[in-house]
Amino acid sequence: MVALAAAIRRLDAPEAVTRDAVGFLAEFGVAGPDAQALLARGSQRFLIYRTLVHNRLRAATREFIPRTAARRGKEPFIADFAAFMAEHASTSPYLRDVPGEFVAWVVPRWQADASLPGYLGDLARHELLEGEVKNAPGGGESPTGSPLALDAALVFDGSTRLMQYGWAVHRLPYATDDRSDPEPEPTRLLVYRDADAKVRYLELTPWAASVMATLAVGNEPLGRGLSVAAQALGEPLDDDKLAKAAMLFAELADRGVLLGAR
Amino acid sequence: MSNPSSGITGVGLGLRAAFIERVERGEADGKIAFLEVAPENYMHRGGKAPRRLAAIAERFPIISHGLMMSLGSPDRFDDGYFTDLREFLGRVDAPWHSDHLCWSGIDGVLLHDLLPVPFTTASAIHIAQRVREAQDRLGRPMAVENVSWYLQLGMPQKDEPDFVVEVLERADCQLMLDVNNIFVNASNHGFDPYQWLAKVPLERVVQLHIAGHDRWEDDLIIDTHGNEVREEVYDMLAWVIERTGPKPVVLERDSDIPPLATLLEEVARIDTVYQAAVGRWQRQQGVARHG
Repeated sequence: MVALAAAIRRLDAPEAVTRDAVGFLAEFGVAGPDAQALLARGSQRFLIYRTLVHNRLRAATREFIPRTAARRGKEPFIADFAAFMAEHASTSPYLRDVPGEFVAWVVPRWQADASLPGYLGDLARHELLEGEVKNAPGGGESPTGSPLALDAALVFDGSTRLMQYGWAVHRLPYATDDRSDPEPEPTRLLVYRDADAKVRYLELTPWAASVMATLAVGNEPLGRGLSVAAQALGEPLDDDKLAKAAMLFAELADRGVLLGAR
Repeated sequence: MSNPSSGITGVGLGLRAAFIERVERGEADGKIAFLEVAPENYMHRGGKAPRRLAAIAERFPIISHGLMMSLGSPDRFDDGYFTDLREFLGRVDAPWHSDHLCWSGIDGVLLHDLLPVPFTTASAIHIAQRVREAQDRLGRPMAVENVSWYLQLGMPQKDEPDFVVEVLERADCQLMLDVNNIFVNASNHGFDPYQWLAKVPLERVVQLHIAGHDRWEDDLIIDTHGNEVREEVYDMLAWVIERTGPKPVVLERDSDIPPLATLLEEVARIDTVYQAAVGRWQRQQGVARHG
């Protein structure tokens, strides 16, 4: 099993097996009749599971990030995926988690590669978000019934995600053959699944994003959270900010995202 | 463990995302006997898919067929996976749960495929122990499915049917018999599929799978579930049903999925073969009773 797993995962497996399949198996202590059985139909048949596994997982990933994969290009995407399989691969029993595992692994590598468009990682994270929010185990919880209070944390719908991008990738066309560049623009999105199970996107101001980061992600009590949010922007917590926070809470409550105080 | 009796028989369909909305709308009503679902598609998941399944489960019996138990793996079972699976099986009131005679991961890495196990006694003992553990954890009977395999994972001590029989007997579990997989293996490895069938205890068959496949090379066909069922596979289905009597039979389709209406036409064709085989079984039973 270890030898077959290596044939599926190792980056050099196709070349190594083609060159010396017996030697490849010997690395894993597989020799004699066992090696003969594994190679009975030739070295390329030994690699068939590599082809099947990579094709299946890569296709599932491409389905979640089609525009990113198209912009990356067919062969580079295949190579990226092979490297992911070799270095990390999947640890989730759910096939739908594989695209997220790949994106989490590949984005830092893309960001470190100056030859690639700077927005590619943001586009991948943004495309992935649709499936992630659509399938999030949380979401659809009932309102808490508790009114907002300064000393209580707020409760948000379990599907809520807060995203920050350096590029306005959310405004790119949906066509996979589109190659237009997004604007380099700090972007903050609140994403959630509504009552009809549709994924909704809200573009946030810096203040709204800071509030959501402290309250929804940081789970701070409301009063302290607002102070922390203002400090994070290096600005005072004035009446204007409080009024805007109140408007944000009202809209989120109206959309079923803010469920009340804990 | 006795053969679990659910009362589910006839021809059903493997539920897929490609047509779940149409099934929910009622387009399969009266045309299939039941639905088979892969629990991994609904476990640990919110949104539309589980809602739709809940609505569908009100109208159809549900059979559960898993993909990721990795029975042949040396890795420990994933506690979280089993907790979610047990909860799911209770939710859909599945009479049993099946998974494959394969491994899908090792050393904590999951490869999301049905990888071959060695046909050895050590392997059979290991898998049987895991099947028993799975039955205990799930609180339901387990069935194991014979898979398509494209290479021997080491020198075999026995042929595939003998291996399957050893697992069934050691685990005292049921067989989820995939007749297409037998056909695929017989074609790829050059044996008689009916000799394979003659070696397994048909009284342990709790359910059958039927599907199509694709030819990749002159000497290799792959179990893609991406084609119509072949005549030879229909014949094998009939051969089994003539001997077992009524069982649930599932049409599986996982790639190049046609419109639901086309799949339902194929279900109807399978049902014609199935009903004829059940009729022959009934006549045999009558002869046996009165003879």
